[in-house]
Amino acid sequence: MARRIWDHPILDFERGEPLKLIFEGREITAYPGESVAAALVAEGVDILGWSKLRGRPRGFFCGIGKCSSCLMVVDGIPNTRTCVTPVSPGMRVSRQRGPPPIPDVVPEFDLEREEVDLAILGGGPAGLSAAIAAADLGASVLLVDENFRPGGQLIKQTHKFFGSRENYAGVRGIEIARRLLSEVGGLGARWVLRSSAVADYPTGSGHRIVVRRPGGATLVDARAVIVGTGASENMLAFPNNDLPGVYGAGGLQTLMNVFGVLPGERALVIGAGNVGLIVAYQLLQAGARVEAVVEIMPRIGGYFVHAAKIRRMGVPILLRHTISRVLGRERVEGAEVVAVDDSWRAVEGSERTFDVDMVVLAVGLTPSVRIPAQAGADMIYVPQLGGHVPVHTPRLLTTLDGMYVAGDSSGIEEATTAMLEGRIAGAAAASDLGYAPDRAERVISEAQRQLESFRSGPFSSRVLEGKEMVWEKAREVIG
Amino acid sequence: MTERLDVAVVGAGIIGSATAYYLAARGLSVAVFDREYVTAGATGRCPGGIRQQWSTEDNVRLMMKSVEIYEGLSEELGAEIDFHQGGYLIVAKTEEERRRFEDQMRMQRSLGLPVRWLEPGEIKEMVPQLDVEGIGAIGAAWNPTDGYANPFKVTYAFASAARRLGAEFHLFTPVRRVVVEGGSVSGVETDKGFFGAEFVVNSAGAWSREIAETAGVSLPNRPYRHEILATEPVRRFLEPMVISFHDNVYFRQSHAGAILGGWGDPNEPPGYNLSSSPKFLGRFSRLLISYVPGLRSVRVVRQWAGLYDVTPDAKQIVGEVPEVAGFIQANGFSGHGFMAGPITAKLVAQLISGEPLDLPIEGFSIERFRRGETGREASVVG
Repeated sequence: MARRIWDHPILDFERGEPLKLIFEGREITAYPGESVAAALVAEGVDILGWSKLRGRPRGFFCGIGKCSSCLMVVDGIPNTRTCVTPVSPGMRVSRQRGPPPIPDVVPEFDLEREEVDLAILGGGPAGLSAAIAAADLGASVLLVDENFRPGGQLIKQTHKFFGSRENYAGVRGIEIARRLLSEVGGLGARWVLRSSAVADYPTGSGHRIVVRRPGGATLVDARAVIVGTGASENMLAFPNNDLPGVYGAGGLQTLMNVFGVLPGERALVIGAGNVGLIVAYQLLQAGARVEAVVEIMPRIGGYFVHAAKIRRMGVPILLRHTISRVLGRERVEGAEVVAVDDSWRAVEGSERTFDVDMVVLAVGLTPSVRIPAQAGADMIYVPQLGGHVPVHTPRLLTTLDGMYVAGDSSGIEEATTAMLEGRIAGAAAASDLGYAPDRAERVISEAQRQLESFRSGPFSSRVLEGKEMVWEKAREVIG
Repeated sequence: MTERLDVAVVGAGIIGSATAYYLAARGLSVAVFDREYVTAGATGRCPGGIRQQWSTEDNVRLMMKSVEIYEGLSEELGAEIDFHQGGYLIVAKTEEERRRFEDQMRMQRSLGLPVRWLEPGEIKEMVPQLDVEGIGAIGAAWNPTDGYANPFKVTYAFASAARRLGAEFHLFTPVRRVVVEGGSVSGVETDKGFFGAEFVVNSAGAWSREIAETAGVSLPNRPYRHEILATEPVRRFLEPMVISFHDNVYFRQSHAGAILGGWGDPNEPPGYNLSSSPKFLGRFSRLLISYVPGLRSVRVVRQWAGLYDVTPDAKQIVGEVPEVAGFIQANGFSGHGFMAGPITAKLVAQLISGEPLDLPIEGFSIERFRRGETGREASVVG
């Protein structure tokens, strides 16, 4: 099965020497730097496991360790998230049917301790910018990321960013990630990769954070913490929405643009916001056909330029339509689309079947806010921001002393605003810890000015409405 | 609300919900008040264990009656409750413990409990994953008819059945005061106004002492935080609940496969702290791994805390207080309210409706503290 992309108009996949995994007794080819799940999909393994209750097949969906569709037994350890686990030679991988048995082998487990001024949870655009701002002002910084490749969603963004020159307008996301990562490295920030911050216990004078990593855990005692944990993809309810071949848009971007794996030939994209439009274009770049982009609203949600680009390439955008079901038993073999009326009900007789092997869901994101919620920060439900978010001030301080939030975990927006929020949060944390407060305040007000200008466009009006609600609540609670 | 209730129940945990059911089944008008929702307190935070191995006879009798009810409860209430009799395995680590367990088992057997002593080899046979030598177990007390049920399913089943029989549930409705007139209760003052009632049942768990105070009744109960955690699900390997008084630890496996367990911190001060601590996460994880080394690679997915409502002798207070007629206590369960819930609720309903009681409850009267006649329950864990 030839699913690996070798020629791409923008991306260069340097693959190195192939290696072998042992997948349920047979050898599978993988390349260094691939995730286990990506390598399996590349080799034609679409079913990565079966649901616990009904035993339904499950496939690659989110690709960033959130959805639990790809849990497998890896070298004897059950429930391993194979989408954020890198391949290594001779690795033994098998799928799970029902809850896995506890292993006979007792793995090593070592406990480490770290002390740091500022712990940053999430190495995406918000976390990286926060790290740069804080480290530049003199704070010691430790970054925690679940992935083995840091950079968050930037590392799969092949398109050029909009906005102002000072915020990387005209630069591709992958290039922005490279620049931010090298800047973070230059400032001496430390990393804990392939690791999840699983709990934050406020101690009164700071935060004790439990970080689960391969082979053990690290207890991080941080004077302050910035939550830049991003978001997870929304699901849509329709029959067979869990079949392998239904991908989250970000998950498919990870497969195509990070690992160079195109898992099908013909796609249907659900949602004509920016993410849906961009992923449709990226599918075309990767060599797939896009049969249609389907949007339930009467208008396109994303930027006009993104829509125009795919229309020019012959992709129809079906407004006032939605997916009604996916066809297939073990994986996607087709999809049915219906028109909807003014009250969002399916129009009888309007069913159309598309012969596709990929269905890509670009139907929004939900902030990942488990850590602030668990630690006891006040939360607020704001539909304009994608769901529950921690109450926070314009300086991104939550209702917990020393805890800040930035990027999508403070409300769904975009990478440019995530970077600006990260800069504000990083500078605010450093300033509140006593590092170069005068300089920090200048960084904050400059970033706030740029943020305000970026948010002045019509696309940001909903977000601003949501942020106003959050700030008002913060004024009530924090003062 | 102009009509007077027969009974106002304070607290919608297992005790309050089951009491409402047994009262409504007797044709009494009853309303349950909770400042939050059904199972918001200790019930929704407990691991659901049901144990009959106790150090005092009255507790053994009470819990045996409770198990009788649990055995038929799913059918009676028409709902699945995940009741499972996988037994309780109480690990002994010292000779002193073995002697104590032997005395207690003799008493328990005389009451009809099929409890017996397990040698280390027998424990190993029952749960091969348990590191019997590693933890230094010299044996265990074993009762196969102990078990567990799902606290949410049980309590919601009682509450739904009670509603079907006409009981009202006023949720998110704090009771501000139990109103007393001329030495008798006359009702409860709530955020939704006054509700007149012939009887008031105080089943507010760790907040029972505060509720009683509003009626001028002083309870000796104190709230203590107890922490608990759950792991990701793994294939079923653990039938019994495993506990140790020596390590102050308990754990079981849920229907879905998660390991649920807790460790009681002997230095925990009384108070309403409900936060989760890193100390508990570390201590309990280490303990659990020492019992079942294979769990070392299994992840913790949740951690939370609940409040034990603890009395000086670790036994519940059940019955009317002599100074306020119609004010019934059903609290102070000291960590055992879920398992004692159904029978206690039934006894309270029998008491209120003037029926003969299934079991004598004098030993659970508040008067025992005032007379200084307490027989401490020693078999407390977590």
